[in-house]
Amino acid sequence: MLIFILILIAAIFFSGIIIRTKSIFSGRKGPGILQPIKDVIRLFRKGSVYSQTTSFVFQIAPTVYFASVIMAMLVVPFGQYKGFISFNGDFIFFAYVLALGKFFSIISAMDTGSSFEGMGASREALYSMLAEPAFFILMGSLALLTGHLSFQEIFAALHIGSYITYALAILATFVILMIAMIENSRMPIDDPKTHLELTMIHEVMILDNSGFDLGLILTTGYLKFAIYGALIVNLFVGVIPYGYTIPMFFIIQFLVAIAIGTIESFMARFRMGHNAQFIFALTSVSLLIFFGALLILGKFI
Amino acid sequence: MIGFDLTINLSLTITLCAIIAIFFIPLKLKSNLAALTVFVNAVLYSRISLPALYGNVIEYSLNTGNFMGNIPLRIDGLSAWFIMIVGFTCLTGVIYGGGYLKTYNSTKSELNLHWILFMLFQLSMIWVCMLQHGLAFIIAWEIMSLSSMMLVIFEHNNPKTIKSGINYLVQMHISVILLTIGFIWVYFQTGSFDFNAFNVFFNGNANIWLFLIFFLGFGFKAGFIPLHTWLPHAHPAAPSHVSGVMSGVIVKIGIYGIFRIISFLKSDFLLLGEIIITFSVLTGLYGILNAAVHRDFKRMLAYCTIENIGIIGIGIGIGMMGLGNNNPMLYYLGFGGALLHVLNHSLFKSLLFYSAGSVYQQTHTRNMERLGGLIKSMPKTAVIFLIGAIAIGGIPPFNGFVSEFIIYSGLLEGMKSNSLNQLILLILSIAGLSVIGGISILAFTKTFGTIFLGTEREKLAHKPEEVSVRMLFPQYVIIIVMMTVAFFPQIFMNAIGNILQRMSILRSGFEIAGFTNYSTIISNISRYSAVFICIVAIIWGVRTFVIRGKTAETVPTWGCAYVGSVPKAQYTGKSFSKPLGKILGFLLIEKKKYVEIKSGEIFPISRKYASNYHDFFELFFIKPISKHLVYGTNYFKFIQNGRIQSYVIYGIVFIIAIFIITALNII
Repeated sequence: MLIFILILIAAIFFSGIIIRTKSIFSGRKGPGILQPIKDVIRLFRKGSVYSQTTSFVFQIAPTVYFASVIMAMLVVPFGQYKGFISFNGDFIFFAYVLALGKFFSIISAMDTGSSFEGMGASREALYSMLAEPAFFILMGSLALLTGHLSFQEIFAALHIGSYITYALAILATFVILMIAMIENSRMPIDDPKTHLELTMIHEVMILDNSGFDLGLILTTGYLKFAIYGALIVNLFVGVIPYGYTIPMFFIIQFLVAIAIGTIESFMARFRMGHNAQFIFALTSVSLLIFFGALLILGKFI
Repeated sequence: MIGFDLTINLSLTITLCAIIAIFFIPLKLKSNLAALTVFVNAVLYSRISLPALYGNVIEYSLNTGNFMGNIPLRIDGLSAWFIMIVGFTCLTGVIYGGGYLKTYNSTKSELNLHWILFMLFQLSMIWVCMLQHGLAFIIAWEIMSLSSMMLVIFEHNNPKTIKSGINYLVQMHISVILLTIGFIWVYFQTGSFDFNAFNVFFNGNANIWLFLIFFLGFGFKAGFIPLHTWLPHAHPAAPSHVSGVMSGVIVKIGIYGIFRIISFLKSDFLLLGEIIITFSVLTGLYGILNAAVHRDFKRMLAYCTIENIGIIGIGIGIGMMGLGNNNPMLYYLGFGGALLHVLNHSLFKSLLFYSAGSVYQQTHTRNMERLGGLIKSMPKTAVIFLIGAIAIGGIPPFNGFVSEFIIYSGLLEGMKSNSLNQLILLILSIAGLSVIGGISILAFTKTFGTIFLGTEREKLAHKPEEVSVRMLFPQYVIIIVMMTVAFFPQIFMNAIGNILQRMSILRSGFEIAGFTNYSTIISNISRYSAVFICIVAIIWGVRTFVIRGKTAETVPTWGCAYVGSVPKAQYTGKSFSKPLGKILGFLLIEKKKYVEIKSGEIFPISRKYASNYHDFFELFFIKPISKHLVYGTNYFKFIQNGRIQSYVIYGIVFIIAIFIITALNII
């Protein structure tokens, strides 16, 4: 329950902090922290424009996309405390529910019949597919390390025993951060501020969305950031009691947002052709975590 | 109460009567008669199978006199599971087929033959699951292969169809040769064709070689790489209800065979399990990669079948590892996941083939690049295809997730093992399975998006319309069953638990408790799926409430300031999967046909450009082998000279040779 509210609060500020970081680095004052949320509220109040090519898929897709992320939020635990839903293998459910949202956002882009949106859809499908093994190997390795199979049990048991696991947690942070960037189509995979449709991924998929639906899609993006931030928090909090974890939660979310802003300020977007290699390299980092887990468990003999 | 013997007699009599009657009834009623017969057979055999699911093995001995002695017929849980799947899929297939073949009503004799073959096809598959006698099994297997091959070449005027049919025929006979070798080997060692002889054989001999022979033999049917090359040819060539049934159940009969042989194994589980997992992960990846790039949508579905066989194989491999490691959890999760995925795949794959068939019937093309925007003219078919596509990707809230989740759980439970090579294999399998899931999203968004969404890319000769109720009805039934699996999985999990608990392979100490535990988790998951649907409904409600009264304009799609309408410029299936094809160009062989622009060419002329993906294994494995075979057999061409006189001489020579050999006691 608590984590659900915490993620919601974090989501409100997350995007604003990224934008603020970026504007500070580029020497501008930048909009207020709450500007992204104000944008969404403005969108919720607007009417919509639909393409005449679209069908009901286009209308229902943002709803399903949003609902899938809400569902994924219910699975996220808070250290030793369970989320709403917790069972053995819940991270599989987490990944596959997010996949459902992605499925709908892809077909909604294809529903418009626009060549640009199809292009974005194709890239989104490809890149998120490439990121999939990194997440599964990461979670599999943590399951191996802790001997548990659910998010909450894994995170609660992660740091019992040895401090070396914090090294693995840092590697895992890198992997999850990068997955978050891929899932949200940010630098260095995709540049959300680009002005050329040919080079966009996520932005071009939602060219035809407007009004309430666009608002939902933007909110989903903020929530996704906060969810991955919460996963990163979980990698570190372990069995620390509430009193410390709540401030830790916000500090880590804040740091993650600043990290993302910094990456976006100082990196250029990769060439599309290089993205696949980069994302696949993430899998090898995950494999590194796997071998780390094997080493800690002493299975290399 | 109808006993086993009575059921067999009854079904054979009814089928025989139907085969005779089908010649005499009016054209319109032929498909109904076939549907009725298939229905009666499905009900008869399911009824006697149902108790077998819960442990009452039923046996019957068919006396054939001196010919083959007593042939044991046995229905245990495993047979019952497959018999019921066969019965259900054939039933939906025959109902759908009745509507699908409406346009072919002019060719009367072909329809007669088609429906007769369909009835035989169903019976032979059921018999394959019951017969526990090597020779009889081969005969039923052969009837199954031949009848399905004849069903495939329904459109025999098309030389390509004939070619695919012959390809299928040849590959199935290589499979039969392997199976025959296996059975004869057992016969020579034990003196019996009864399947129980396997127990004796495996107790006394090395397990691995015989198993591998059978695995290869059944693998041809199931479509493990590199034995899969018949699938992408046969499935597109066959009429859609036949491809639905073939993909739904005939490849599963191969899985049945593998299960059957495994149930007799005594040792070498670990090694065989590792072999099976490795092959299965590669099969899954290879299948879905090809599915992602192919544009013939029925061929794409055929490749997707290969992928799902890979997933089932991963389950089987985990089960074997469970047996090898003495880990009951792995045994139940692996084999259980595989069995459930057999059911699930038979459901959504037949659903997808039927809806793809509806598209083919209306548009007369299998090339998705020529279609587009069909969701407006065929909304029901579009929704059905969408449901199938989501389910086959293993995405909640549909049934595919349930079985994939069990298999994932098996892989994760296996991580508690202590052996390093198993751990590495398992983590790579998890990664492989997740990539399979990711690519299947790509493949199915591509297929669904290209066929049903956007605007039509080409003017078709006939305007497509929604298909008849007769074709839609079986698809609705399949969706209902799929939903039952998704939301009441415990029914199916209990049945599977029972089957696995009674499998002859089982050792003492294999507690089912862990599996029951997972069964609770899975029924919880279906509850969460329901929660998910509620969340969607709530958000939809909020959306309707908020946008009420607000303006909603309808304008052309934003073309980045270009206002002309160019349906041809829509993103195509080819371009959608091109980046993937490019990354994996070494595996997805693309061949292009075009004429280079010459240096002196100034004025534009019309040009042609064609590009096609080729099957890696067909190109580099099957084709070279068959080429060399043809080279060798060329020298024996003179034997088949087309003169009947020579053939009579061959016969006489053969008879004399047999006579001399037996007379001199040489064999």
